[in-house]
Amino acid sequence: MNFSRQTSHTLHEEHRANLDLLGRAEQALARAPRGDGPREPDLIKLVVALARSLEQDIDRHFGFEEKELFPRMSEAGDGEIAMLLTEEHDAIRDVAQELLPLTRAAAAGTLDGAGWDALKRGALELVERQVAHIQKEEMALLPLLEDLLDDETDRQLAFDYAAG
Amino acid sequence: MAIASTFLGGAKGRLLAASIPFRFFGTALLFHALAWATLLWAAPALPDFRGGLGPLLAAVHLLTLGVLVMTAIGASLQLLPVATRQAVAPGRWPYDAVWGLFSAGVLALTGGMALVMPALLLAGALLLALALLGYLALLARNLHGAKGMGVVLVHGWAAALSLLVLLGSGLSLAGAYAGVSGLPRPGALGLHVTSAAYGFMGLLVMGFGYILVPMFALADNPSPRWSRLSVGLALAALGLALLSALAWLPAASLGVGIGLGALALGIHVALMLQALRTGMRRNLGASFVLVRIGWAALLASLAVALARESGALPVLGASLFGLLLLGGLLTLLLGVLSRIVPFLASMHAAAGARRAPTPSSLTAQRPLDIHFYCHLAAMSGLLLAVLVQSAWLVRASALVGLAGAVAFGVFFVIAWRRMAQVASAPALPSGAKA
Repeated sequence: MNFSRQTSHTLHEEHRANLDLLGRAEQALARAPRGDGPREPDLIKLVVALARSLEQDIDRHFGFEEKELFPRMSEAGDGEIAMLLTEEHDAIRDVAQELLPLTRAAAAGTLDGAGWDALKRGALELVERQVAHIQKEEMALLPLLEDLLDDETDRQLAFDYAAG
Repeated sequence: MAIASTFLGGAKGRLLAASIPFRFFGTALLFHALAWATLLWAAPALPDFRGGLGPLLAAVHLLTLGVLVMTAIGASLQLLPVATRQAVAPGRWPYDAVWGLFSAGVLALTGGMALVMPALLLAGALLLALALLGYLALLARNLHGAKGMGVVLVHGWAAALSLLVLLGSGLSLAGAYAGVSGLPRPGALGLHVTSAAYGFMGLLVMGFGYILVPMFALADNPSPRWSRLSVGLALAALGLALLSALAWLPAASLGVGIGLGALALGIHVALMLQALRTGMRRNLGASFVLVRIGWAALLASLAVALARESGALPVLGASLFGLLLLGGLLTLLLGVLSRIVPFLASMHAAAGARRAPTPSSLTAQRPLDIHFYCHLAAMSGLLLAVLVQSAWLVRASALVGLAGAVAFGVFFVIAWRRMAQVASAPALPSGAKA
């Protein structure tokens, strides 16, 4: 997928990196044992990376899209897609709110068996929601931006996003 | 990616009532189990099938009409309005009428075939004709005025035309059993098999592949030039095969038609595999293993058809060809259905919910796994049974296939019940926490 706009390209690269992380997390968590027991250090590292990526996504990536891109889509007559993507952001925020305390406890080594089970459930739900969401953004949002943004707006948005 | 973006972007506002597509899918799965059970009864006839009324012909039509066409109707009535950004036809009655007439028609036609009752068979054929004409009207409405989906629309219109040929040839064959004269039987049979399997089902499968495969794999749309070449070759192949069946062209042209069909399907499959290989989402699970096996079996069916045409497979050819063709379509369709059912269910359950259920939360994975292994074991067993001419192996395979069909039915019922539970829960106001 090649995008000519800098904004689309930047978001696409973030999606690609995120999908890679989500895929690794999905496989590692699916293999992880249930309940109490020792956890692989690599799994804990992966969970921490997932949490960090999630925090960045919600603050920066989602915020940028909601503030700068979705209103432009609505004005251009694609409010239906913007609304759908906003609803998915809300759902992902809900999952993240439940998941982040568990990932912090996992990183600190204080998570018990039941906590690990909850973390695994929540993380797998997050992976599924994020993948489906990225799927929609790649197929609906980014191609729309190619037509929606002029050169100057694209440059300004890409600069603001990089600086933000 | 324009096709997928219209599909994803407009999907929620263009859904039929959940009970409409799910009723078609659920009935198809009932016929799926019934087809395997009928094959169990018809086992001795399979290895050397040469046509004629009886339980094997009934099993074949339970599969083709009851499973394949029933699913194709439900899927196309839902997917096309979403993909073409059109409002669905108002009112439920057209869908209810098509479903009711079609279900009754399949039961009467296959009952007439199994029990060798030509009058019942003909009554079933007439009910099916009414249902399919109603479906054609709905399909044409969805195709008419759709913009920006050239390749998919060509497949859709060509499938609709094939359905008309299928209807005419089917009525002629059914009438012949009841003593009503029509087209000469060999010609009608050639038209029927070609227009049903490769024309209607094959073109719909290829057309929807251009929407669904890039969407699930997160890939670019396949090259328009190669897609157009594929559908052009497919239409030329169908034209040659149909004219050969009517004896309006020399017999040798059928071989050319089969070769062009194989080329068309080969290009299509290559485009789909490229989308799967280059897509951002690589691991699509067992459902796409079934899809890949389905593509391979369809290509193999054309290779067997070509070998038969050249006289290389005179004895086992007919059963082997039929098994690869129908088994390929069934395998492909079940793979797609196992992804579409939870996907559609989650979209329906999402209405008014802040945190809509995920497709996997509506999926019962164990029945799906059981079906996967049973289906592949049953299809492999049938292939072996045809090659070694063993009725016992057909029975064993049919039993395993029946177990798989029941497992797939359980998966479907669980998805429906979970969707209904979520959808019936009171919607939370925005911002509220469950």
